[in-house]
Amino acid sequence: MEFFKPGVTYDFFRYRWPFIFTSLGLTTLSLLSLFWPGPRFGIDFKGGTEVELQCQGAVSSSDLRDAVLSLGFGHPDVIAVQGVKDRYILRLEQISSLPAAQVAKARAALGTTMGAANVLDFAPSPGGDKLSIHLAVPASADQIRSALVGAGLNVRDVSQFGNSEDTRFEAHLVGIGDKLVKGLRDKLGDRAPERPLRVEWVGPKAGAQLRDAAVNAVLYTIAFVMVYIAFRFDLRFAPGGVVALLHDALITLGVYVVLQREVTLGTIAAVLTVIGFSISDTIVVYDRIRENMARMRDASLAHVINVSTSQTLGRTVITSGMALISVLGFFIWGTTLIRDITFALCVGFLVGTYSSIYVAAPLTEWIDRRFFRRA
Amino acid sequence: MDKGWYFRFSLMVFVTVFGWLVLWPSLDAWLPVPAPVRKYFTGRISPGLDIRGGLRLTYDVEVDEAVSDRRNLRSDQITRELGERLGVVAKGSTPTRDELAKVHARVQRKNDGERRIRVQFTSAADASKLDRDLVTRYGDLREVSRSETEVVLEVKTDFLEQIRDTAVQQARETIENRVDGLGMREASVTAQNTDIIVEVPGADQATFDRIREIISKTAKLEFEIVDDEASVLDGLTDLPKGVTRHSEFASAGVSKPQVSSSYLLARGKDARKTLLDYVDKLKAEHRIPEDHELLIGDAERASDEDVQLKTEPAFRTYYLFARAEVTGQAIEDAFVANDSQQGGKPYVAINFNSEGADLFKELTGRNVKRRMAIVLDDVVASAPVIQTEIGGGHCQVTLGGFRPYNEILNEARDLVVVLKAGALPVPIRPSNEQMIGPSLGKDGVAQGVKGFAVSFLIVLGFMAVYYEVGGMIADVMVILHLMFLLATLAFFDGTLSLPGVVAVALNMGMAVDANVLINERIREELRGGKSPRVAVEQGFARAFSSIFDSQITTLVAGVVLFQYGTGPIKAFAVTLIFGICTSLFTGVFCSRIAFDLIVRGLRVQRLRVG
Repeated sequence: MEFFKPGVTYDFFRYRWPFIFTSLGLTTLSLLSLFWPGPRFGIDFKGGTEVELQCQGAVSSSDLRDAVLSLGFGHPDVIAVQGVKDRYILRLEQISSLPAAQVAKARAALGTTMGAANVLDFAPSPGGDKLSIHLAVPASADQIRSALVGAGLNVRDVSQFGNSEDTRFEAHLVGIGDKLVKGLRDKLGDRAPERPLRVEWVGPKAGAQLRDAAVNAVLYTIAFVMVYIAFRFDLRFAPGGVVALLHDALITLGVYVVLQREVTLGTIAAVLTVIGFSISDTIVVYDRIRENMARMRDASLAHVINVSTSQTLGRTVITSGMALISVLGFFIWGTTLIRDITFALCVGFLVGTYSSIYVAAPLTEWIDRRFFRRA
Repeated sequence: MDKGWYFRFSLMVFVTVFGWLVLWPSLDAWLPVPAPVRKYFTGRISPGLDIRGGLRLTYDVEVDEAVSDRRNLRSDQITRELGERLGVVAKGSTPTRDELAKVHARVQRKNDGERRIRVQFTSAADASKLDRDLVTRYGDLREVSRSETEVVLEVKTDFLEQIRDTAVQQARETIENRVDGLGMREASVTAQNTDIIVEVPGADQATFDRIREIISKTAKLEFEIVDDEASVLDGLTDLPKGVTRHSEFASAGVSKPQVSSSYLLARGKDARKTLLDYVDKLKAEHRIPEDHELLIGDAERASDEDVQLKTEPAFRTYYLFARAEVTGQAIEDAFVANDSQQGGKPYVAINFNSEGADLFKELTGRNVKRRMAIVLDDVVASAPVIQTEIGGGHCQVTLGGFRPYNEILNEARDLVVVLKAGALPVPIRPSNEQMIGPSLGKDGVAQGVKGFAVSFLIVLGFMAVYYEVGGMIADVMVILHLMFLLATLAFFDGTLSLPGVVAVALNMGMAVDANVLINERIREELRGGKSPRVAVEQGFARAFSSIFDSQITTLVAGVVLFQYGTGPIKAFAVTLIFGICTSLFTGVFCSRIAFDLIVRGLRVQRLRVG
């Protein structure tokens, strides 16, 4: 079985300009998309809300996930607590939002009751569902509660915090956990949890440190790959391979950002994979060009590229096709998170295959013409 | 077939069998492993948190401790400055012990709650030295009240939150570094208000114990000078049963080489607890002066002649000046070394950073011929006499001696991990433990497995149809590759989480690619009219440079990612690196064996590669 007739040379090079412009356009758009709308970072990177729930009837993790998804909470992590039936920890991207203006208003309201100078501390939690209050004078929880409710806050309860002579209070606001439970009651009926066992803001698993490490690692990778290509092949080949690699990584990220899919640790792995795929695909085409350059000394580099690309076309299509098929299963059956990652991989594999032919090769040819032939 | 082929074939069979044996224990749940295999092959792949779940530990960070630490720091700084203003301490110099004693005679400090200090003066004139300028110098202090001879200061409210947050963040980073130091890259450490949450994949109790142990260690390393001239312990009349008073001759400075010094000792099974309870009681009743500390340590290492304590555990007290002179923050590096003089007993060697080295030199120089206690987490590890000023910034910590070699070695190793990761800024307390399921959800994992299985079968089927015999060989190689890759992961006790699975998918793609390249080349050679035997030979030779270069470039990328990446990036890189090695082995070495068997062993006239 054969997809391409052997011995036929397709004139890839003739049609390069439209493709080069498309690539330039897509890369520029991807770069821009990183600033606007900007990546939508998931819980891994920016934290979120963690809610622990005890369902009152049998609920499977997929039931719960579907219910939460249909409530419009984005993709949650649904973690079953082992040993307790139907107890789950959910991690949601959303956090209860508490606008600064409202915080200021509430603080002022409390100030009128207590005396503005007596409100020592009035800080909302990062998750926006808790206020830490420190007063200089003793007060009752009810006084604080009515002041906050008066300012338009949706207060669940106010409690004293720490030892009794310490005049610290915590006001819990009706937030995302309550909203979630209310929504679940509509979806799951009797089986829904009665109330959230605990609602807490969780910090990011991977902060700026990991993101910087990822960017640094990729930049170093590019540098070393460039050196390796220059050493194994030729100086003219190096920029093409690296530009193709950047092109693929950027476009993959760009598509991801434009569709506003959640960027997780898995996305980082996917982009790294695309980089790996892109390098190896480009090198295979390069290897053929190198081989044919030695055999066809009189031919122009453009012709050599055409011949080489045509010869490797069968392999290119099979390998990329197999790679696509191998992640397609995840895409069809996976849950949302896995689907996002495989989606990135599919985009990356397609772009990676294309870029070897229309980014790496033309750039190599141009560098050859511009810097090497004149001498 | 020639000899070389048989050799290669046996090597392949050997590696395959070995790979299977390494991998088998990881598949125990589906294919029970016979005992001998289990005994010799202990490595296992542990599925990550997202795939199998694990243990979730919650710790409370005692943030108030951070506030009182700040208060104590300011208290010391103010005392020192007051010493200068009172003309007792020379400007800009580190005050000596005698100078500090003179300051304390005129300025007493009392702690009040966790944020306040009451500074009491013997004369009103001295009190005026603590002026507004000194209070506001540090930005985070404010004056609460002032009388003739007493000034009350406290840490400003605005700074409390910041101090607490910083403490939580530092504690989180420290724990993360420690967990990383254990090689548990897949564990996750997050902060949640004043809690720290550590999630450890897997279900292995021994690992969990080790994690708990290493997290709960405060790893506060301090060097404090023993006060051998005090007589506080001599006055104690209520020693509980089992605690006895002893005296020893100790060196308390160059001019006093032989002073008699008292200490308390307890022996037997509950010795530690008995002695600790009594010491805590003394502390609670304020019978130990505030500038001193009574700590306990192992009694075996005491230079004590009249007590022979080789067989039963015994603990003794040390009476110390309470200020930590050099702390663990000064550590540059720590490693386990063996003491050849004591029968190879492991100890921990420490190198200080330049600041630490200076402090250590100053401390030892100032206290020559005194005893210096090396205190780890409030327990005295040893208390050697300083013979001379110690420059160079090296120091050793020896570990408790009643236990077998391996136990000491493990403790030394864990100590190195925690010392390198740094001390926790404040103590933490375990508050909750839960076993949790996979974060992808059980359904997510099941569907992922289904997706993988279907894709895998389609790829295998397509290869066999498209490349016929060559495709079937490729299929065998791809399966072998998957097995070797997983076996390598098992051998190194790797963790497989979602990023790892993605890396495995990439590797599968590269393994397929190697076979595609070979088959395509053989096809080309066959089309050129070559015999199967020659076509295979040349096909491999030609394909090799593509395979080699593309895989090596990816390997370069993998190594760089490993070098500069952290956490999940590293895990991804490791899988990638292993995968390239195994795909080179199966794709080039093993598939050649199979092709050779067909074209040279079976001498086929027509090689069917589609």
